Amino acid sequence: MRRPRQRSLDVLLQQIINGLSLGGIYALIALGYTMVYGIIELINFAHGDVYTLGTFFSLAVLTLLGVSGEVHGPALLGIVALTIAVAMLLCGLTGVIIERLAYRRLRNAPRLAPLITAIGMSFILQNIMQYWRGPSPVPFPQVIPNPTFHIGPVDIAAKQLLVIALAIAMMIVLQLFIFNTKLGKAMRATAQDRDAAQLMGININTTIALTFLIGSALAGAAGFVSGVYYGSTWFFNGFAAGLKAFTAAVLGGIGNLAGAMLGGFLIGLIESLTTQFISDQWSNVVVFSVLVLVLIFRPSGLLGESLPNKV
Amino acid sequence: MRFRFLAVLLAAALAACSSPSTTTTSSSGTSSSPSGDTIKIGVDLPVSGADASTGIPTQNGVLLAIEQANKNGFAGGKFKLAPVLLDDAVQGKHDPAAGAQNVKAFIADNDVLGMIGPFNSNVAKSEIPLTNDAGLVQISPSNTNDALTVGDGAKALRTSHPDVNAYFRVCTNDSNQGGALAQFARKKNYAKVFIIDDNETYGKGLADSFEAHFGKLGGTTLGHEHITANQQDFKALLTKAKASSPDFVFFGGTTSTGGGLLRRQMGDVGMAKVGYIGGDGISDAEFLSTAGSLANGTYFSVAAPDATKLASAREFLTAYQARFKQDVGAYSASAYAATNVLIAAIDKAITADGGKMPTRAEVLANVAATKDFASPIGPIGFNALGDSLNPALTLQEVQGGKVVTVDVISIKS
Repeated sequence: MRRPRQRSLDVLLQQIINGLSLGGIYALIALGYTMVYGIIELINFAHGDVYTLGTFFSLAVLTLLGVSGEVHGPALLGIVALTIAVAMLLCGLTGVIIERLAYRRLRNAPRLAPLITAIGMSFILQNIMQYWRGPSPVPFPQVIPNPTFHIGPVDIAAKQLLVIALAIAMMIVLQLFIFNTKLGKAMRATAQDRDAAQLMGININTTIALTFLIGSALAGAAGFVSGVYYGSTWFFNGFAAGLKAFTAAVLGGIGNLAGAMLGGFLIGLIESLTTQFISDQWSNVVVFSVLVLVLIFRPSGLLGESLPNKV
Repeated sequence: MRFRFLAVLLAAALAACSSPSTTTTSSSGTSSSPSGDTIKIGVDLPVSGADASTGIPTQNGVLLAIEQANKNGFAGGKFKLAPVLLDDAVQGKHDPAAGAQNVKAFIADNDVLGMIGPFNSNVAKSEIPLTNDAGLVQISPSNTNDALTVGDGAKALRTSHPDVNAYFRVCTNDSNQGGALAQFARKKNYAKVFIIDDNETYGKGLADSFEAHFGKLGGTTLGHEHITANQQDFKALLTKAKASSPDFVFFGGTTSTGGGLLRRQMGDVGMAKVGYIGGDGISDAEFLSTAGSLANGTYFSVAAPDATKLASAREFLTAYQARFKQDVGAYSASAYAATNVLIAAIDKAITADGGKMPTRAEVLANVAATKDFASPIGPIGFNALGDSLNPALTLQEVQGGKVVTVDVISIKS
């Protein structure tokens, strides 16, 4: 029997792991939110639903491949890579279509107009998913073997590591893309001054479409991960997750990639620690109280609203 | 121009898609025959989303009763009975506001002489003031929250006519259900519980009742937590529960508010071997599919006798199988019984009126006077508060992915 103090420390560490893996999912969604906001200053409310769509696309791929349980060996890598790739591609295309249909024509309209179409798109996607897979939760096959690693007193499941690692990797890749490639440079230029960028020969439409492609593809990856992590999904899932992810983006400084990730992890941690030390029902209250406090003292979020280099 | 077309298309799609779950299939159709030939029965149940797996078999029970009455020449063939089926699930979950909206639709239709439903206690809370005001009789097959009929809470619901009761139920309440579950847990030698509820009328009421009874029987409650609406991640909460080393987790709530996901995630945090007990809110097929293999070993109650074990229900079971080609749900027989009570009350009112269309008040009076009415779930009668006089409870366990009845407890009132 461990001493009580030792035990409560173990629980604390365990809750930090829980919080980080929950936060990893928020972070993956928040990256897409923040990217779109960084470029065209639009809060894409349909983003949470694209994320759920990602889970459904992954499920469809797995069903097509005939996968219904754990896969081992090299086949696992192939199946996971293929599923993520297809989900990312389809979600990316969905994002591009959404931008084309709902946002492009309203790019110079008052800001309220694209906000309303964003909410409309969110409803449309939800109802398409409800029509497609029904309104009940749908089980998601446990593709990835889930050994639990015992590191000292703490248990970390493979799935939790996957979520955390993927969130960090995605952020690094995005950061590199935006700051080290020509397309990234075009995106930063578009964010800074759309008209000037156009005069410099940057195709604005393509650049913005690309932003939606990448942002939504990230949501597709997050969708796959959340399916594996929770083992089920349903059409309305994106609403709550999207709201939290949006909060994460604002907390970290909207438009700021590192901020989105920081915000995601932070919200996950706050939720799990509130559950442990106060009560589960208060976790949302504490999350949003922290948000309010942060915004009072740092109105542009923790890391500042550094839009892809608007400094 | 092309874009303008697209925009119109989009608007049309939006209009077509908007929330199909709130409005619904009314199988009554638009009868062209003059008002007076058809008597309508309002049916308000959650029949979409995660609640559909209990809602639809319950609705089927109502339909069967109405179809049989029509076939057997209801009221000497003078009147036809027609169900008005409305869904109170919004975005896949039972919703009090949608329930209230549905009841308003029933009240506005003069041909509706009574209603069956709702399924969930929080929906009932928003409906009782409306039916009380309109004097429309309402019989629920499955609401178990105590405060719907008993105590100051119930009085507060009867806003317009505090002395008149228009709400009846054929099942027992959560004091009895919580008590029976606590007794059962103690009999299994479970001593320490971690309680989680969904903070809804039903879930919290049941969890509180369970906690009180479990304490009286010598059990210890290690913690009592409430989850929030649309919550998906319970790992932090379960890690907390696990740290207190409970013998089992008690869940007060429904599958649609998290009962299935919670059980599934118990496996993720290493609590697969810890017991799991819930109320009738998780006694549905949805629970089995959401919780997956971890559903096995779960215990829950149903606030009705197990119809498949009753001699009085044999005829009903055969007819149900023949009509719907599926097994009965936990509350199919109760819904069938409730509907038959209502139909008999309407029939009696027609006879007393000499074949004329009866009023809602007459039907209500007849339902209230119901005594020893023969039904598949046993004789039905109501006390002055609308509670069933001799209800029963069933305790069930999931074994190998199938629901097995462990015990049937009859409740003395």
